[in-house]
Amino acid sequence: MVFNTDVTANFWAVAPEIALAIIGLIVLGLDLYSRESQRRDVGYFAGFLLLALAAATVFVPTPDGSLSEQLVLGGMLRHDQFTQIFRTMIYIAAALTCFIAMGDNRMRYKGEFYLLVIVATIGASLLAGASDLVMVFVALETLSISLYALAGFVRDDARSAESGLKYFLIGSFATGFTLYGFSLLYGFTGATQIYGPDGIGQQLAAGKLNDAPIIVAMMMIVVGFGFKISAVPFHFWTPDVYEGSPTAMTAFVSVASKAASFAVLLRFMLAVFPPEKLAVGAAADYSELWVPLISVLAVITMTIGNVVALVQKNIKRLLAYSSIAQAGYALMGVAAIATTDGGQGAASVAFYMFMYILTNILAFGCIIVFANATGSETIADFASLGRRNLWLAMFMTIALLSLGGIPPAAGFIGKFYLFRAAVDADLILLAVAGVLNSIIALYYYLVIIKVMFVDPSPDEDKDIPMPANYAWVLGAASLAVVLLGTVLANPVIDWATQAGLELFI
Amino acid sequence: MQLENTGVSIVSAVLFSPLVGVLVLLFWPRLTDKQVRIATLINTLVTFAFSLLMLSQFDSSKGMQMEQVDEWIAGLGIYYHVGVDGISIWLVMLTTFIMPIAVLASWTGIEEKVRLFHGFLLLLEVAMVGVFVSLDLFLFYIFWEVSLVPMYFMIGMWGSKDKVDFFGREMEARIYAAVKFFLYTVAGSILMLLAILYVGNKAETFDFMLIRDLMRSGQLVFTEETERLLFVGFFIAFAIKVPVWPLHSWLPDAHVQAPTAGSIILAGVLLKLGTYGLVRYNLEFFPNAAIDFAPYIGALAVIGIIYGAWVSYAQTDVKKLVAYSSVSHLGFVVLGIFAMNSAGIQGAVLQMVNHGVSTGGLFLLVGMLYERRHTKAINAFGGLWKIMPIYSGFALVIALSSMGLPGLNGFVGEFTILVGSAGSDTLDIWYTVLATIGIILAAVYILFMFNKVFMGPVTKQENQELEDLTWGGNWYELSALVALTVVIFVIGLYPKPFFELMDGAVGDLVAQLDATLQVAMK
Amino acid sequence: MVPLYMYLLVAAALFCIGVFGVLSRRNAIAILMGIELMLNAVNINLVAFWRYLKPDEINGQVFAAFVFVVAAAEAAVGLALIISVYRNRNTVEAEDINLLKW
Repeated sequence: MVFNTDVTANFWAVAPEIALAIIGLIVLGLDLYSRESQRRDVGYFAGFLLLALAAATVFVPTPDGSLSEQLVLGGMLRHDQFTQIFRTMIYIAAALTCFIAMGDNRMRYKGEFYLLVIVATIGASLLAGASDLVMVFVALETLSISLYALAGFVRDDARSAESGLKYFLIGSFATGFTLYGFSLLYGFTGATQIYGPDGIGQQLAAGKLNDAPIIVAMMMIVVGFGFKISAVPFHFWTPDVYEGSPTAMTAFVSVASKAASFAVLLRFMLAVFPPEKLAVGAAADYSELWVPLISVLAVITMTIGNVVALVQKNIKRLLAYSSIAQAGYALMGVAAIATTDGGQGAASVAFYMFMYILTNILAFGCIIVFANATGSETIADFASLGRRNLWLAMFMTIALLSLGGIPPAAGFIGKFYLFRAAVDADLILLAVAGVLNSIIALYYYLVIIKVMFVDPSPDEDKDIPMPANYAWVLGAASLAVVLLGTVLANPVIDWATQAGLELFI
Repeated sequence: MQLENTGVSIVSAVLFSPLVGVLVLLFWPRLTDKQVRIATLINTLVTFAFSLLMLSQFDSSKGMQMEQVDEWIAGLGIYYHVGVDGISIWLVMLTTFIMPIAVLASWTGIEEKVRLFHGFLLLLEVAMVGVFVSLDLFLFYIFWEVSLVPMYFMIGMWGSKDKVDFFGREMEARIYAAVKFFLYTVAGSILMLLAILYVGNKAETFDFMLIRDLMRSGQLVFTEETERLLFVGFFIAFAIKVPVWPLHSWLPDAHVQAPTAGSIILAGVLLKLGTYGLVRYNLEFFPNAAIDFAPYIGALAVIGIIYGAWVSYAQTDVKKLVAYSSVSHLGFVVLGIFAMNSAGIQGAVLQMVNHGVSTGGLFLLVGMLYERRHTKAINAFGGLWKIMPIYSGFALVIALSSMGLPGLNGFVGEFTILVGSAGSDTLDIWYTVLATIGIILAAVYILFMFNKVFMGPVTKQENQELEDLTWGGNWYELSALVALTVVIFVIGLYPKPFFELMDGAVGDLVAQLDATLQVAMK
Repeated sequence: MVPLYMYLLVAAALFCIGVFGVLSRRNAIAILMGIELMLNAVNINLVAFWRYLKPDEINGQVFAAFVFVVAAAEAAVGLALIISVYRNRNTVEAEDINLLKW
């Protein structure tokens, strides 16, 4: 396999990660050497730099044309538009996480929180482009280990420590499965590179190997990734971790880690177990195996997620189950990649994750403001939020409508695109299941909206203060959600489509 | 497939002028309640003026016109494509006409969160006009869904204060109604989304005009079974909205709980989104399935006509009576549509407008009574004619129009529909006979209600002091009623221009249906 | 020479013991040990495959080296988390760590 050896191209491929590492060091230095009173600015500093990085990443050139041009650093990474779009959204997620973390006094003055977020971002960002088993593993662990530490960040809060420990134990257990699958893949082919004529994908597709062990390896890898994206039945850590962790961390784990895991899942499935049209002289088409597997996972995931969400009383737990369901919707797009021609499957997942990042962080940001003022995360306590702080209630409503898929919020186009990809891939029944699930989901989103605007509350007269800087961040995120559903939809969808197409080169 | 971008059309002005009001209400720093009301009224009147301008430019000899195409989400083949034809223009006119009346109807009725309420009102106007003018299936679906959200809030936040028993727990009736309304409609519309996705996938475009051309030229053909499934996907969404019996159970709840303006808009315009969809999408896209299903849907429509009238008669609550009468009236519209001939469809379109005007008027009247007396029970009234002669005069005209008295608008619509269904190739003569019974029943329940509320001696002491309508005291109520009454008489006495403008669009549709029918009969 | 499948059998057995340990143990540290066993099974697999299939390329060995490093980092973070739970609750028994429950 020939790789791109051009120094400039190799540099550009990892320039964002280099920048991230530098930002991380600066944040660490600032935290060490600045006085206590200035330390709160570290978060702003990290947030704005990450936002600037997200903007700059859009303009990073990718090598175009062939696969061998796009494989850089000896085949460790593939630098294509798919990498680019996922990177950009992960940086946006990290920036917003820094901003909303500043509302929480337990993290506000701690520079190491922002450093951990940045390190996790490096991992997520590499994961989006990883094209070698070693790289996938290292990036996955860079992301995960930082997240374990973040989940247990508030050491003197028993719930945070507990959620950190649970996340750690279950996460590393899942990693064990992924790794065992990886070691088998290496054993079958003698390669760690997933692309190329002597890479794992083409060797498996040549059909010289026994099917059974390959299926075992595939299952193990799906289990490992299933944990990461919290697909049912590997979801049971999600509600505990979401509820116990500091809310800013919950926001981050629910979007950045999920987006990166979906990126690697899409790339991995398509490259390692290629459908017929991607394999040269294919004899074995393993996509016939994993498409039904992923479809079934998708249906179970969204159904269980939505049904259990119906009975939740804690808003963070509810969003945890809703995010399980959202992962189920996105899995429809993964199931659709093998049979759609234009890469709509991958493109729809990319767009969905883009909108999901903005929406979910918006929702969690609203929860932080609310919890800071009232000390409660119970849904019933959201009563009369519309009277206590109308803007906060409006922001939350936009987030919930977007999660429920009601236009003009971006969630609608996201769902529309996913359903369309499923229909295009002739997975009509899957689309029907998705559609039915969206109806169930609407119910509990609507109940929260109803609670906020209609239910009476004994604290009706107590205003909920929203700091101005917070109002700006949440306002900007709400605006972004609405714009992404209307005028900005086109450029992002074009980008996602381009990304999806490049997976098929 | 590509479409050329065009210049800005007057249709977009009608569509987006209420959005200006929404933005003003959202971001203008300080406004008193009175200023909010006046601003909203002016905004809706300006929109109405735009729509009049659009009407004056309408050329009845052409089909779809005043189109505007702009690229939107090119990646998914989705365009911003709007335009009007002889069918949709009347529904746009109805919407822009009803909105100022809805604003006037909430002049004193809405006292909490006035700004938010009027914001929702204007947002709803954008969504409803959007449904009627969009010529892209995706755009259509967006507006369709958006129309739910403001209505949900209007019922849920400003609805009545009643309580209901919900599985043993006491619950606010308005919440129950709002959630029921929302879930019913979404459940239907999501099936439609699947059908839209499928059609879009096969046609490789979401554009209404392109798909129509593909279908007419035979380049896009579905198998019989697929066509039926797609027909059902669209039909259930629209039938819930209309509502066609037996999918109507959300309607009485929503109507009774909604504030007056909400009821007016719900009855006046929102229900027409469904009937409009039946004409525009079901008949246009799936004529074969429509012919197959017409007898069954006609039967549902006739059951709805008689059931609605029967249940109306049994009501003790005026608002519920009017709500159930809607089920009956819209049965006529559906019957006319599935008669699938020129008279049936023209009558149906005109009857949509008529029902919007007269039922909207009835809800307005009920709202006025409720504000004065704080009850809607029929037997709480009696002899109002003696106390409120002007009010009662308007009530008589509007009630008679709803009943279908010759010379008023309701008669023209219903009569044309019956002519259509009698001469229909798809419906048996019995449908017409049974529907005629519905007209008689309508006369019974309307006159029964009118008699109890307005005639006879004043039996209740509380009613002695009720305030009549005067220009000085409550100009907003009087002007709304005057506007409605004028329209009732204009359509009733001189319906010719209304039919003439429809001719092009309906003729075009009927020609297609006839061709399909000819094939089907062989 | 010992055939390849013997190594693979040992690795598979070790992996299963690890999984069993994770699922059956009550103590968080013992669960952590189970996870380490799973990772060690992977390492045996990797090194055996490398030695028997592609001894002239280094990627199998490199992979195994990375697994060591990452496992060490993981254990460090994990033990720190266990200590922080112990400080709060005075226990590391999985059944007692139950503040969060659906």
